[in-house]
Order: sequence, then structure tokens, then C-alpha cells
Amino acid sequence: MWTDFLILMKQEMAVIAMIFILLFMKLGRDRSNESFMNTMNVLLLLNLILGFVFNHEGILFNEMFRTSRLIAFEKNILNLAMLIISLQSYSWLKTNKHVPEFYILMLSSLLGMFFMISSGNLLMFYLGLEMSTIPLAAAANFDLTKRRSSEGAMKLIFSSAFSSACLLFGISMLYGTTGTLVFSELPHLINNNPLQLFAFILIIAGFAFKISVVPFHLWTADVYEGAPVAVTSFLSVVSKGAVLFAFVSVLYTVFSPLAKVWYNMLFILSLLTIITGNLFAIRQENFKRFLAFSSIAQVGFILVGISRSSDISTTSVIYFVLIYVFSNLAAFGVVSLVTAVTGKENISDYKGFYKTNPGLSWVLTIALFSLAGVPPTAGFFGKFFLLIAGAGKGNYVLISIAAVNIVISLYYYLRVVKAIFMDANPTPLPSIRTPLMPKLAFIVCVAGAVTIGVVSPVYDYIYSLIVLR
Amino acid sequence: MGTAQILFWSLTALALISAIMVLVSKNPVYSVLWLIVVFFAISGHYILLNAQFLAIVNLIVYAGAIMVLFLFVIMLMNLNTETEPQKSIWMKFFGVVAGGLLLSFFISFVISSADLKGKSAQLKEGEIGLIKTLGKALFNDYVIPFEIASILFLSAMVGAVVIGKKD
Amino acid sequence: MQHIWIVLGVLFVLLNIAAGLIWLERRMLAMWQDRLGPNRAGPLGILIVLADTLKLFFKEDWIPPFADKWVFITAPAIVVASVLMSFVIIPFSPSIIVSDLNVGILFFLAMSSLGVYSIVLGGWASNNKYSLLGALRGASQMIAYEVFMGLSLMGIVMLTGSFKLSDIVNAQKDVWFVFKQPVALVIFFIAGVAETHRLPFDIPEAESELIAGFHSEYSGMKFGMFFIGEYLGVTLISAMTATMFFGGWLGPAFLPPWAWFFIKTFAFILFFILLRASLPRPRYDQLMETGWKVLLPLVLLNLMVTGAIALWIRG
Repeated sequence: MWTDFLILMKQEMAVIAMIFILLFMKLGRDRSNESFMNTMNVLLLLNLILGFVFNHEGILFNEMFRTSRLIAFEKNILNLAMLIISLQSYSWLKTNKHVPEFYILMLSSLLGMFFMISSGNLLMFYLGLEMSTIPLAAAANFDLTKRRSSEGAMKLIFSSAFSSACLLFGISMLYGTTGTLVFSELPHLINNNPLQLFAFILIIAGFAFKISVVPFHLWTADVYEGAPVAVTSFLSVVSKGAVLFAFVSVLYTVFSPLAKVWYNMLFILSLLTIITGNLFAIRQENFKRFLAFSSIAQVGFILVGISRSSDISTTSVIYFVLIYVFSNLAAFGVVSLVTAVTGKENISDYKGFYKTNPGLSWVLTIALFSLAGVPPTAGFFGKFFLLIAGAGKGNYVLISIAAVNIVISLYYYLRVVKAIFMDANPTPLPSIRTPLMPKLAFIVCVAGAVTIGVVSPVYDYIYSLIVLR
Repeated sequence: MGTAQILFWSLTALALISAIMVLVSKNPVYSVLWLIVVFFAISGHYILLNAQFLAIVNLIVYAGAIMVLFLFVIMLMNLNTETEPQKSIWMKFFGVVAGGLLLSFFISFVISSADLKGKSAQLKEGEIGLIKTLGKALFNDYVIPFEIASILFLSAMVGAVVIGKKD
Repeated sequence: MQHIWIVLGVLFVLLNIAAGLIWLERRMLAMWQDRLGPNRAGPLGILIVLADTLKLFFKEDWIPPFADKWVFITAPAIVVASVLMSFVIIPFSPSIIVSDLNVGILFFLAMSSLGVYSIVLGGWASNNKYSLLGALRGASQMIAYEVFMGLSLMGIVMLTGSFKLSDIVNAQKDVWFVFKQPVALVIFFIAGVAETHRLPFDIPEAESELIAGFHSEYSGMKFGMFFIGEYLGVTLISAMTATMFFGGWLGPAFLPPWAWFFIKTFAFILFFILLRASLPRPRYDQLMETGWKVLLPLVLLNLMVTGAIALWIRG
């Protein structure tokens, strides 16, 4: 029945409906930016609520589209992140000339991510990946007057085109040796054929680019610095989160026969990523580049968690992404507001921030503590569960190096906190009045960052979704 | 050797030589022209595998439209060797080393894949390439990727208009 | 063996038609513009063909020293090659067809896409700003109208269920497609005029605006090749219109099928010449705007309505 399609694909249908509503609103009479933004925020909130009801399991169209309650929850995390980003970019979008196009591009990217997460076929997966990348490359150039924006967008599109080419080469070789593209049939046909190993390496290279694993991370800093802050936060949270979900699912279902191979690979990659991310974050001056390198380091920890394949790993990854949404978006929200109002992006400009903006500096501090992993913020629990998931017999080297790096990362996060609270500045940033929408976003993010760690039903709920899948 | 064999080897040679000429040409317009020859060779390969629709659409879309856009951009950019920064010799050396390593890995993987030997592609047979079968498959099994690709094009157009429009 | 004769025969006939068009066009233009055309050389001026060809052969074959030599030489060859290749699929009569491809219409579209290169490369290789301008405008015009040309033929493909041209001609046995797809005919013809860059869509050449557009630097036989390519293009579009919309070689039995084909083709060639004789040239932006804002919605609407009616008829 066609109503079954509608219910199973409800989140995708909702996003498509929003894209078309936006197109028709744009073609209609002239509206102010405010009305667009208010409409969009209400629609995104409805979309988020819709994601919690009527969740069913199902497979459609010859395994092109799979959905389950876990997948619906993952999509809802992305919806939540999209809503928070939309609320936070209020001040920047108020004076922008292309508001509907911004939302269309973001929603198209979100739609691509939905299809990527719920794909059961390598073809649909690739199409979803492309669909999530291309609008972002256009959106990264949204600050049309700045040269850095164009430079970042060019780097993004060239690097992502090249990594998609690698991914596609791997997929085609996998298809050539096994004869099928369907996820559920592939594990039975993968038998240590050397060509399949080569395909696996290329596919991992394609993934590693999108989640900024070292040594595929070189695009991250420049793109994060050049793109407008809303797009940067989308890239760092939503794009990374979606590809991580897909990565976990592909690695555990399709490549399960190769578990010994990718354990070693993840060992090395996670160590490299954590160490490189930490070392480079220490030296950064620009706040957006700093957050870029800090997010690279966070991904390294996630790889530690993934390295042992089990249900606890999947749970801890999803849990960590949820916490990462809150903490990272809180930090980016403050940066977005400050950049929109004053245009300043360097860490040294934030000296003495506490004197003029006490509320915002507390939000930023809680966000940074959560990213660093200081208890009782949720970031601590996220990292804790990741390390537990990664621990198993004989994995202690990795865990201990990761733990040492957590302490190192504390240095650069606290450096920013010190600048905010303790450094004196003759020309501090002016006192910023937060409009209603970003204020709501900050409240949600801070509440999430503080409480999700201690509220245990969240973790148990995610675990139940995975075990019962 | 039969006609199909002769055609296969000559098309392969044409494709490889043109691909190398793409990389080696000093003039970017020549690179684009050699790339068009590569596409012709690949379309020839598709016809050998009886994928008729794919061959012709490859010509129409790739060689006929996308390469014209490449030519536009290159003609308007007016590149020549005096204005372009030259890469250092070490970068070229390491590039060659990395590419050569990749190629040698790939060849060794292909050679040691024992179960690929003895399999050959079906030439000029098979129903898959015909338009009727392709159309049926596209609208029954592969309808979601087909429709989603259209939304992808829409968003790409929106992005291109945002970046490119002068107002 | 039989096949070689067909190929050679088609080639011979086509090149003669292209040459004969030199004379036909000038006489018909003159007739419609109320003056005499060439009437000195030979009876009715028909030896003007010979005179023109000899003139072109004897001109100095000069390649500008500032031009890109190899691309300059290949550009005219591309247009003639691609148009001649397109004639491979056209059914002159039930038994005279060079190669009845399964993907006939798509092959025609592919070859017309390749025709864009001759303009772009010819304009660029001349290293001359007027040529480049003509080339860029011509290329964007041709690419845009190629889309409409292809889409307008898709309605016929829907009604026939096949891309083969012989199937399409056979499907017109009861009623010609001109009565079932009138909008598609108009759009196809307009797009065809734009594809062969004839007046009123000859912005690439634009004889009074851009010196001579993309072929300003060409002289001698290379210019002759562009000329021949253009006339062959006119013949091609006329032949395609006759085949797709007017029944091809179908007709009452008192004339052989190929005669009907040639009569219909010549009718459209005369129509091309009439368009050149009478219409003014629109501006470039008017051309592109009309194309994208009027013709594209029309052709898509045509496609949807055809699909809907075909589905309804089949029950």
C-alpha cells in the first residue's frame, strides 16, 4: 500500500516537502527574511517531533531503503542538530540576501544524509553521499564577498570529488568481485580476495575523507575557516555524524569478515588522528580552525570506540554523537553570534569576554568543558563509554594513549577558558544582546551538555534500540 | 583474432594513449580534446559489451555537453605557462612514486585474484544493455536513486545560481 | 556487397545535394527577395556551383600564424564528419538505410552534440576576439537548443515505443505524426534551425555584427567545408523532419518511396531558405530567453500531455 511507503519514508517526505514549500515561497510574493526564518524554524520543530512518532521497521524497493527504530533515531539526532543550527544562524541570516537558498541547500544535504544512513545498497549509499556533499560545497561559498569563502569551497569540492572517485573505484571493484551491491548479501561473498582488500582500502579512504581522519584531514581546517559559521557547524556536526553512522553500519555489516584487517587499521588511524588533532589544535589562533582541529581529535576517540565491533561500540558511538551535537553546537553558536555582530574570529579577541558577556561566556565554557571531557558534563560520559567500548583484552595500549591525549587536549580547551575569564583586554568584545532564537538554542545545548551524561535512560534507550534491531 | 578482439585491443590502445596525452599536453585545450578521444574509446568499449544506451548517452552527455563546458572555462581562463606557478621537482618525483606504487599494488592484486582468471566478458550478447530492459529496471528496482538524483540536480542548480548570479 | 553500394550512393547523393544547394539557395533567396539570382553561368545559372567550388579550391590556403594550427585544421572537419555520420540512420526507403541502429534518435542527438565542437574550436583556434565571441555565443545557443530538440522527439518515441527510425516511419502508416504531435514539430523545427545556426538564429556567423563570427579567419577550402557542413545540416534537419513527422518514404504508390522522401525533404529545405529570406535576426539574449523560458516549458508540457494521453489510450 502506498501509505506504507509514506509512513516508512516519513522523515524523507517531510524534508522534501519543506524543500518544495521553500521553493514555492521564494517564487511567490516578496517576503522578509524574518518570515522565512520563523516559518522554517517552526517547520523544523514539527519535523523533529514527527521523528519521534510512528516509527516502524521496513525494507523498501529491493533493499534500496531500510528503516528501523535505530535508524529513525539517528535521523532524529540530525534533525535536532539542524534545528539548533537554524536557530543559531538567526543573526547572520537576518541581513543575508539568499535566505531560502540557504535552507534549500542545507535541507538537500540533510536529505542526502537520510538516504545514505538508510541505504541497503551501495548504489543508494553513494548517491546519498554525493547528495550530502554537493549542496554543502555550494553553501560553503555563501559569504560571496569574501575570498576565503571561495577558497574553502574550492578546496572542499575538489577534495570531495577526488575522495568520491576513490570510493567509487572501491565500490566498483567490490561489485566486480562479488557480483552484488546489496549490503545484506555482501558479507557472505567477501572471502579474503586481494582485490576485495584493495576495494576495502579505497572505500575506507572515501569514508575517512568525510569524517576528517588523518591523513585525509587536510581540507578540514581551511574549509571550516572559510565557510560561514552556520555551514561550518553543519559540516562539523551533521555531516560528520551522518557519515559516522553510515561508517559504523557499513563496517559492521558489510565488512564483518574482515574484522581482523580493520582492527589494525583503526588502531593506527585513531592514534594518528588523536595525536595530530591535539598537536595542531594547540597552536591555532582562529577560533574556527581551533574547533576544526578539536573535532578531528574527537573523531579519533570515536575510532577508538569503533575498533572493537560489538553492540556496545555502536551504542557508544551514537551516544557520543548526540553529546557532540550539543557541545559542539553550543561552542559554534557563540562563535556565530559574535562573528555576526562584530566580525571577529580570533581567540585573542575573546580575552575578557566574561566582563562584557557573562551569559555567553558561561555557555562557551560549558561547551568547552564538555568537549574536553570534564565531569560532570556529558562529554566526560561520552568519552568514558567510548573508551570502555574500545577496551577489550589486549587493547590497553590504545586506551592508555587515548587517555593521555585527553589530558593533553584539556590544555588547549582550558587555554580558551583562561582567555575568556582571566585575561585582561583593553578593547574587549562589546556586550551582545542575544535574540530569542539563539537564546533558545543555547538553552537546549547547555541543558543537553549538562544533563545527558547523568540521565542514564538515554544510554539505555539507545542500547535497547540496537539490541532489539 | 576475430573482429571483436581487434576492436577491443585497438580501442584499449587508443584509450590509454589518449589518457596519457591528457596528462602530458602542455596546452589545456589539447588535454580536453584528448579527453574527448578517451570518451569515444570508452563508448566503443560499451558497444562491444552490448550496452548501447550507455554508449550513446556517454557521448551525448559526457563528450557532448560536459566537455564543452570544460572548454568554455579553459578558453575563458586563458592559461599559459608564464602565468602558472610551476610545481617543484620533488613534488613531481613523489607524485610519480606514489602513483607507481598504487599501480603496482593494483596490478599485483589483480594478478593474484585467482578466481578472476578464466572469466571473460560477454561480447555483443545479453539483454541488459538494451533500452527496454534498462528502462524497466530503472523504474522498478532503481526508482529511488533515479528520483533522488533529480532532487540532487535541483539543489546543485540552486547552489550554482546562488554563487553565480549577478544582481 | 550490397551495403557498400548503399553507403557510396548515400554519400554521393548527399554531397551533390550540398553542392546543389549553393545554387538553389541563391536562386530561391533571389526569387523571394524580388531580384534575379545567379543566371549567367550556364543554363539558369547552374554552373555557379562549379564556379564557386573552383574558386574555393584555388584560393590560398592560409593558416594565420597566430592561430593554433592543428585545432584550426580539425575544426571544419568535425562539422562535416558529425553531420555525415548522422545520415547513417535515416531511412531513404524501406531498403535503403545505411545502418538501422537500435538507438537511432539518440545517435542523431549525439552527433549534433558533437557539432558544437566545430564552432567552439574554430572560434578559439583563430585567436581573434570576434571569432571567440561568435564561438561562445554559438556554443551556448547550440547547447540550449539541443535540449529542446531532444525532448521534442521524445513524444514521438513514447508513441512509437522505439528509438529505431524505421519503426517510427512504419508507425506512421495510418496517420502522420504531424497531426498527433504538432507542438513537437514546431519546437523541433525551431531547434533544428538553431542547431544548424541558420538565419534567424545565426548569431555565430552574424554577418553584419561580428564580421563573420567564428569563421572569420577561415578561407579557401576550409571555409568551403564549413559551408558544406551547414548545407548538410540543413538537409539533415529537413530529412529528420520529413522522417519523424511527415511519414518519411510513405506515400501513394505512383512514385517510388525514395522519391517521396526527396520531395518531402526538399520541401523543408525550401522552407529553410524561405526563413533566411524573410526573418530578421533576434538579439542573443532574446534568443536564449525565449528558448529557456518559453520553449522548455512547452516541450515538457508536450511530453507530459503525450504521456498522459498514451497511458489513457492503452487502458
